[in-house]
Amino acid sequence: MFRNNYDNDSVTFSPQGRIFQVEYAAEAVKQGSVVVGIASKTHAVLVAFKRNAEELSSYQKKLFAIDEHVGIAIAGLTSDARVLSNFMKQQCLGHRLTYGRNMPVRGLVDMIGSKAQINTQHYGKRPYGVGLLVAGVDEQGPHLFEFQPSGMTEEMVAFAIGARSQMARTYLEKNLDAFADCGREELVRHGLKALKESLVQDRELTIENTSVGIAGVSKSKEDGSSVVEPFKVFDGQEVNAWIESVADDKEGGGDAAGEGEGMDVDA
Amino acid sequence: MVRRRPLTPSSSFPPKAPCFHNPPSAFRTPNESPHNLGYMMQRVTNHHTHKTTDVHRHGLRSRQLHLLPDGRNFQVEYAVKAVENGGTSIGIRCKDGVVLAVEKVVGSKLLKHSANKRIATVDRHLGVVYSGMVPDGRHFVDRARDEARAWRDTNKTPIPTADLASRMGGYMQAYTLYQSVRPFGITAIVGGFDSELELPVDGEVGYGPSVGAGGKAPDKKHGGPFLYMIEPSGLYWGYYGAATGKGRQAAKAELEKLDLGGAGALTLEQAVKEAARIIYLAHDDNKDKEFELEMSWISASDGPTKGKHQEVPKALREEAERLAKKSMESDDEDDDKKDDDKMEE
Amino acid sequence: MDHRPQAWGRPRDDVYGAYDGSYFQNSGPKFATQSPVVTGTSVIAIKFKDGVVIAADNLASYGSLARFTNVKRLRVFLDTTVVGFGGDVSDMQYLDRHLNELAIDESYENDTTETAAATTTSSSDPSSTSTQTPNNPAGSLNAANLHKYLQKLLYRRRNDFDPLWNHILVAGLDASSKPFLASVDLRGTAFTSPSLATGFGAALAQPIMRRYAATEEDAAKLTREQAVDIIKECMKVLFYRDARSLDKYSIAVVTKDGVELKEEEQLEKQSWAFAERIHGYGTQTV
Repeated sequence: MFRNNYDNDSVTFSPQGRIFQVEYAAEAVKQGSVVVGIASKTHAVLVAFKRNAEELSSYQKKLFAIDEHVGIAIAGLTSDARVLSNFMKQQCLGHRLTYGRNMPVRGLVDMIGSKAQINTQHYGKRPYGVGLLVAGVDEQGPHLFEFQPSGMTEEMVAFAIGARSQMARTYLEKNLDAFADCGREELVRHGLKALKESLVQDRELTIENTSVGIAGVSKSKEDGSSVVEPFKVFDGQEVNAWIESVADDKEGGGDAAGEGEGMDVDA
Repeated sequence: MVRRRPLTPSSSFPPKAPCFHNPPSAFRTPNESPHNLGYMMQRVTNHHTHKTTDVHRHGLRSRQLHLLPDGRNFQVEYAVKAVENGGTSIGIRCKDGVVLAVEKVVGSKLLKHSANKRIATVDRHLGVVYSGMVPDGRHFVDRARDEARAWRDTNKTPIPTADLASRMGGYMQAYTLYQSVRPFGITAIVGGFDSELELPVDGEVGYGPSVGAGGKAPDKKHGGPFLYMIEPSGLYWGYYGAATGKGRQAAKAELEKLDLGGAGALTLEQAVKEAARIIYLAHDDNKDKEFELEMSWISASDGPTKGKHQEVPKALREEAERLAKKSMESDDEDDDKKDDDKMEE
Repeated sequence: MDHRPQAWGRPRDDVYGAYDGSYFQNSGPKFATQSPVVTGTSVIAIKFKDGVVIAADNLASYGSLARFTNVKRLRVFLDTTVVGFGGDVSDMQYLDRHLNELAIDESYENDTTETAAATTTSSSDPSSTSTQTPNNPAGSLNAANLHKYLQKLLYRRRNDFDPLWNHILVAGLDASSKPFLASVDLRGTAFTSPSLATGFGAALAQPIMRRYAATEEDAAKLTREQAVDIIKECMKVLFYRDARSLDKYSIAVVTKDGVELKEEEQLEKQSWAFAERIHGYGTQTV
C-alpha cells in the first residue's frame, strides 16, 4: 500500500529531503483532464478539455469565474478546487467592497499559495489535490499563474496541466514568442491547438467537451484608464466557431515551425 | 477591519492531536506504545511474527517525536537535504550596506521572465532570500512580516535585524519540536540596514524631545548593516558573507576571499558585482539548467536605496552580470592554459 | 491617617476634597470617548487642472489652549496621496500608524522590478520641503481606494459607538489619473466636491473657494498657482476668524508627478488693521 516509510503524512521528510505526500498530490493533478492557459499583452485565455463519466452523463465543468477580472481552470480533485475557488471569491469580493477596485491577481494567488503550504506542514492535514491555472487582468495587464498542491505559485506566459499536458507544453514552448502580440481570436486558437496536442489518438474537440474562458484589458482612449473585458466562460455552441477554425489543421501540425506531427502518446 | 493574521501559531499548534502516531505498517513496535517513553531500542522483535527487524529505527526517523539515542533529529537533517537541492542564494554584508542574491533555476521555458520574485522585503529595510522549498520560504517570509508588524505596533519603530533573526530562529525551531509539524525545508538569509538616523517614532506628532524620540545618544554611532542566516533547525549566526543551496561550497570559498570586515572592506557597488560573479560561479554546480539572477540591496539613508530594501536596478544588475560572465570566460581560458601546460609535461 | 494601600499616594480628602466618584464607571454601559481632547482645526483643499492643493495649519489645541505648534496634520500615503486630518490628534496618530501599515502591506504586493532611487524614507523629517517622486507602480492603492477604505473604517467605528473623532480630507488622483478629492468624517459620511473644507473652513473658506471652483469644469480650468493662491487666502481668513488656528501651516500639492509637501509655511501679508474698527469688547467704551 505504501511505497516507503516516509509517505504517510506531509510532516515527514524522506532521507533525500522530499515530501512524498506532496508529490502524490501532484499525481492527482495529473489524473485530471488537460487545461491550457496563455497570456498576451491584452488578454488571458483558458481552454479546457472536459470529461464525462459515461456516454450520457454531463461533462465536468473546468472553468470558473472568480470575479469580474479573474477566472480559474482546474485539474484534479474537483472538491478541493471548490474549496479554493470559494475562498478566492470571498477574498475578491471583500477586497472590492473595501477598496473599490479589482483585487490584484498576484495577491490573490499568493493567498491560496500560503493556504496550500500550511496543509503541507501540519499533521492531520493533507495537501490540496488540485492544480489551478489562474487567469486574470489588473492594472498591470493580463496575468497567468500556475498553482500547485505544494503551494508553489508562479507567473507564466503560457502553461498546461493535467493528463498528457506535456504535449501541450511542448506546443506552447515552440510558439512562445508569438503569444505576446496575439489578438484575442489568435490566442484562443493557439490554446485550442495546444489542447489538441494532449488528446488521445481518436479524440476530437467537440462543442460538448471544450470550454474557453477569456479575460481582457485595454486602455480607454479618453482618459487612459483600464477597461476590463470581464472574464467569461464559453461552452457549447459558443465555442463552435473556434473549434472549426482549428479543425482543418493536422493534429500536432499547427505550430509555426511546421515540424510535422507531434508525438501522440496513448493514455 | 485591520488586516491581521494571528501572531501566535494557530490553535492546532502546539498540537492538540495525540503525540503518538500509530504506525500504519503491520508492525506495532512495543516502544511506540504510550508506556515506553524512555530509551529507544534500535532493533526490535515483532511479537506476532517473531521477526527482528530494523524497521522500527526507520520509523523513528520518519517521525519527529523523540530524539534518537545519538541525540539527532533526523527530520531536521532530512530538511537540510531539501535545502541542499535548491538554487544557491548568498548574502554579503559590506561596510555601507547589504547585498542579497539568488540563482533562480528556471524550471520551465514558459515561466514569465522577471515576474517571479524570490527575494522578499520585510517592513521597508529588511530583505529575505532563501534556498530550498519555495512554499516554505514564503511561509517564512509571511511570518517574518507578521513579526515585523507586531514589533512596529508595540515599539512604534522598525524592527532591528538582530531581533527579527532571533524571532525567526525561534519560530523555525518550534517546528522541530512536535510530531504534528515538520521542519522548514529552507535556509533563510536575512539582511537589513538598521537606521543610523534619529528616526521619528511612528505617527509622531511634532518633533519630540531634542535627544530624539528614539532615545539615541547623540555622540554614538547607531545602526548599520546586518546579515543573518537561519537553518532548518532554527540555529542562526550573524555573518559578513553567507551562502546556502546547491553551490554553497563554491560560494563560501569565494566569499572568504573577499575583504568584508576589514579596513579596506568592499563598498556596496563592489559587493553587487562580486555577488553576481559568485552566483555565476556557484551555478557551475547546476550547469545543465538555465537560471535567472535576482539581486537586491539595502544602503544607508544617504546611499543609493535611502535605507530601503530594493531590487538592484536593471542597469547595474546587467553590468554586474556582464562582468561576471567575462570573469567566467577568463577563468575558462586560465583552465585551458593550465591543461595545455600539463599536456606538455 | 489612612495607611491602607488604597490611600497610598492619594491626596488627603480633608485638604483636597473627596474624589468625584461619578468618574468611576463600575456599572452601566461601557462607552468610549465622547469628546476629543487634543484637536486640530480645519483642513482645506481645492482641485485644479493637474491635481489637488491641500493645506492645514500646524496647531494642536487643548481646548482653548494653543498647546502644540509643530503638529503636521498632512500625512502622505504611498507617495501619491495626501490625507489631511482635523479633529482628535491621538486618533490622527492611530490612523497614521494604521495607514503606514497598509502602505507597507501594499509595497509587499507590488515589489517593483525597476525602482527609481529617488525616494525619501520618512515623511516626517524636520526639513520644510520634501519632494517625493512616485515609487509606486500601477498596482498600488490610489486616493479613491484609500478614501473608500477610510470610509468603511470610520463607519464601522461609528457603528461600534467608538468613533475615531476626525474629519479627514483625502487628496490625490483616482484610477484614471484625474484629480480626486473627498471627505470622510467621524460618522462615516463621505462625499466629494471640487473644493472641500472641514471644521471652521466649511463655513469660512468654502464660500471663497466656491467662487473660483463651483463646478468640476471651473476647477479643471484653475492653474496650480491660482489654486495655491486661493488656499493661502483661505488660510489667512481662517487665521483672522478661527480662534483655534495658527499662522504657521503645511501645504501640499498633489499631481501625477507626486506630492510636494511644505510643512513650515508662514502666513504672509496679514492685515490686522480691521481690528481697530471693532467696538464693544474689552476696555474700549466708545
